[in-house]
Amino acid sequence: MSGSNGFEPKIVAFVCNWCTYLGADLAGTSRLEYPPNVRILRLPCTGRIDTNLVVKAVEGGADAVLVSGCHPGDCHYNAGNYHARRRWMLFRELLDVLGFDMRRIHFTWISAAEGRKFQHVISEITEQTRALGPWRAYEAKAEIDHRGGLVGQAVSPATGRAGPAPALQAPAPLAEQELRDLARRLLGAGDVKVVIGYGAAGPVFVTKAADVERLVWNEGCQANLTTYLKRKEVRALGKPAVVVKGCDERSLVVLEKESQIRREDVRVIGMACDGMGQEKCAACDTHEPRFADERVGKAGGQGGKPAARYAAVEAILAKTPEERLAFWSAEFDRCLKCYACRQVCPMCYCERCIADKNRPQAIDTSPHRKGNFAWHIARAMHLAGRCVGCDECTRACPAGIDLRLLNLTLARAAETQFGYRAGMDPAAEPPIGAYSLQDKEEFIR
Amino acid sequence: MDNIYQPDLMEIAGVRQHTPDVKSVKLRFQDPNRAGSFDFRVGQFGIFSAFGAGEATFNICSSSNWKGSIEFCFRKVGRVTEALWDAEEGDTVGFRGPYGNGYPMEAWRGKDLIFLGGGIAMPPIRCAIWYALENRADYGDITIVYGARTVGDLVFVDELDEWARHPRVRVIRCVDPGGQTPDWTGEIGFVPTVFERADVPAKNAIALVIGPPIMIKNTIPVLERMGGAMSNVYTSLENRMKCGVGKCGRCNAGPVYVCKEGPVFTFEELRAIPMDY
Amino acid sequence: MSARISREDLRKLVAEWLAAGKKVFGPVRVKAGLELYAPLDSAEALLLDGWIRPANSIKELVFPRHEALYGYRILKNRVELVDLAAEIPEQIAIGAHPCDAAALAALDKVFNWDYRDEFYNRRRAATTVITMACAAHDDQCFCTSVGLGPEAERGSDALLHERDGGYEVRAISEKGRILLGGLAGETACPTAQTSGANTPPRRFDSAQVAAFAKEHFEDPYWAERALACLGCGACTFTCPACHCFDMVDEGNGREGVRARNWDACQFPMFTLHASGHNPRANQGARQRQRIYHKFVMYPDKFGEVLCTGCGNCSRNCPVGLGVLPAATEIGNG
Repeated sequence: MSGSNGFEPKIVAFVCNWCTYLGADLAGTSRLEYPPNVRILRLPCTGRIDTNLVVKAVEGGADAVLVSGCHPGDCHYNAGNYHARRRWMLFRELLDVLGFDMRRIHFTWISAAEGRKFQHVISEITEQTRALGPWRAYEAKAEIDHRGGLVGQAVSPATGRAGPAPALQAPAPLAEQELRDLARRLLGAGDVKVVIGYGAAGPVFVTKAADVERLVWNEGCQANLTTYLKRKEVRALGKPAVVVKGCDERSLVVLEKESQIRREDVRVIGMACDGMGQEKCAACDTHEPRFADERVGKAGGQGGKPAARYAAVEAILAKTPEERLAFWSAEFDRCLKCYACRQVCPMCYCERCIADKNRPQAIDTSPHRKGNFAWHIARAMHLAGRCVGCDECTRACPAGIDLRLLNLTLARAAETQFGYRAGMDPAAEPPIGAYSLQDKEEFIR
Repeated sequence: MDNIYQPDLMEIAGVRQHTPDVKSVKLRFQDPNRAGSFDFRVGQFGIFSAFGAGEATFNICSSSNWKGSIEFCFRKVGRVTEALWDAEEGDTVGFRGPYGNGYPMEAWRGKDLIFLGGGIAMPPIRCAIWYALENRADYGDITIVYGARTVGDLVFVDELDEWARHPRVRVIRCVDPGGQTPDWTGEIGFVPTVFERADVPAKNAIALVIGPPIMIKNTIPVLERMGGAMSNVYTSLENRMKCGVGKCGRCNAGPVYVCKEGPVFTFEELRAIPMDY
Repeated sequence: MSARISREDLRKLVAEWLAAGKKVFGPVRVKAGLELYAPLDSAEALLLDGWIRPANSIKELVFPRHEALYGYRILKNRVELVDLAAEIPEQIAIGAHPCDAAALAALDKVFNWDYRDEFYNRRRAATTVITMACAAHDDQCFCTSVGLGPEAERGSDALLHERDGGYEVRAISEKGRILLGGLAGETACPTAQTSGANTPPRRFDSAQVAAFAKEHFEDPYWAERALACLGCGACTFTCPACHCFDMVDEGNGREGVRARNWDACQFPMFTLHASGHNPRANQGARQRQRIYHKFVMYPDKFGEVLCTGCGNCSRNCPVGLGVLPAATEIGNG
């Protein structure tokens, strides 16, 4: 039975080798009829099904996607499906904010004995998708609210760049002097070989005590300098001291947890901060550094409004999925694939990024809409439960794409679902790489 | 519209596997008119493509005297070369070219020729060797020193034997220490060392040196000690390229587009200009 | 004869072009603090004041960030090539800056030496550039250091000068004359009115930049200068004159396209050989390349600096680099 317009949905099913694939096989050998609209792709385990594959299927013209594996407790590899479940929980929230049609993305547990369930699921999805019609996720009209954008950003007069005007809490000359004195002491004593700090026109790398006057501390110190700890040219300078704000410091916690730095190899200079006038500052609850070896200054005690942390996510979720997709289409249409977002990110340290790999080509390198959606989804997912919200990607983007909203979406998901905030508590277990038997799965059939 | 990026469609007319990861492929133009009009100079390169995988740059390693077909040689290292590896006789691949300057074979007339090659660098030397042998009277003594890490890494081995049978051609094969097999009859040692031992008169000879950066680096002083003039020592640069026609900027090295002003340079030229290659 | 057009009439003109089906690009405010050259959907979207220059450039009109070069279809062991070069509609850049227009004149050369790139040429032929002389500058502007200025004509088909609440209009090329017809005058605008507020000071000497780059190719300066560089492409992609590109295949086993995408000399992968050897192995060499290409290599080959002083590289750099800081250091001997 086909739709009135002759539309036959294409459904791509990513299934695990041990349960659902055998379930599908059983449906076949039991002569249980199910619609031929499904293309089954067999993978070793749901834990091994990269979310990029789901995106790839949509790019390739799938009208619905199904991901299916073993029931909880039945995984051939013990816990692959538990790990997958966590990723799906985060992935779904991301797709939802992007405005993808969530009625077309399905997750099920189907065992090797459930040929009948496989038959039902496929029949149901096929009928439902047929009623929905073709999925034209990438054909949305790119629409942006010219009256200030969905999530407005003001330009900083200091830098001419996106980000609201600095709050201009009087630059702290005392703190600046204290910082220079400290740097002079550290370099003079040979405790560190380089101080990575803020200069008048951008980051500076001070290697001589005589040069500490190049260090500044003012309302323009927006960058998260911990990103330099990963760069080999900077590493070659020797043991660093790095100037951080309370927010930047969170990335050190993650980097250490991920074995990218050894805490004892880095001297951390923590600056008390009343905000740099960026959007994130409004909800800041890390005005004072918490783990730094050296502390400079004292924050004015004006707390941000942490409760409003995810207000931007909630604002976009108040829109319809169609509006959200139109918004993101306009945002991503501006993407140049300059990778400033990746390069500036302290958490992006892979020796070779998945975007630079071509065997297989998981993400089209072209800056067209599909390639841009794929890239930003992959980037957000790779930062899920890791992003500390420094917003450097947003600050760096020459196209003004609201990347912070993607990261915030996943941060919100990690906090609401798993009570986790990246970089806040060194003892907390990161959500990705762990799982709980109690993880919510109401979205899995 | 004249599309400078559009390749000629070529049929694979033959495939030779040289090592576990090196093959050479012979191509014929599918368009008979193009086959008739096509010409190139040895030392020029082409941009070869496997449709669906992309393009890659290789020297045209056949002699320009061989009409009707061209050959190229590659190691399987990436997306494009894997796709080319899987292509079989009769399949279609793309070719753009010939590009670049090529060897000044006319200017080399009357001179002794010294070819020094390492590993996968044999193909861009091979085309010049065949050209010289086919115009044997134009050139003096020919010395070929060809080395590889192991015996199994040598390519075009059968042709080495064939070249050695020509008059006034000396072929010296070598492998890195430890790379020999029990029945290895060639030399053991690195190309520069083996070449120096061979005591070839280099003073008025033309030398073509192609190989990994470390081999080139160590060979140049040897040539200098033996009296070779840097204006007579040539190499072919292997900068990464995309367009081949001086637009995309990728092969840009210092003041030159390697794809247009190169890939063949003398060391005199390379020393005179600041370059990254 | 010089001619004038009021702001209202300028918008009306844009509306007429749009109604006639022409593609019109101009500066728009995408969101607060972000101005970009973009296709105008209405004459009202055209931004006439309150900004220095958009964060991108008009090079996209002639050299899009992504362009299919041809398609292919694979049928067993045969391949069929598909011409994808669609008709290019007439396009107009209105409100471009002199530093955008001048870059097109530079790009014309590289896309046409020896091999002629018709993808570029046909877009260029379809494009008319109506430049707006600059009314202001910021501390990143340095056109006067590379032989241009806020009223430079190079690459423009017509030039608008803001005067007394309207614009003086002058046609520079035949294309401009045809597009504007009787609206445009021919005489040079009286430069006496140039207040100077729109003219950035000379910040460096480009010949000295070239000399330094040539003579100090291996200098540790480059590595030190590049320490903060993150290796992204924000500078090159927003540069009106940078034109490096990559070529890629995209498709499935049956059909696809071969396309070109912008590429950047700042990416480590840009020059990486399959063997693992990288001729520009560190960020210092990559930063040097950008300066060397613009100030030495391009002028040697094509007779002009490949930099129009727009300052976009510095404005868009997340860490305060770009041409200006380096050129100021090495070009003030």
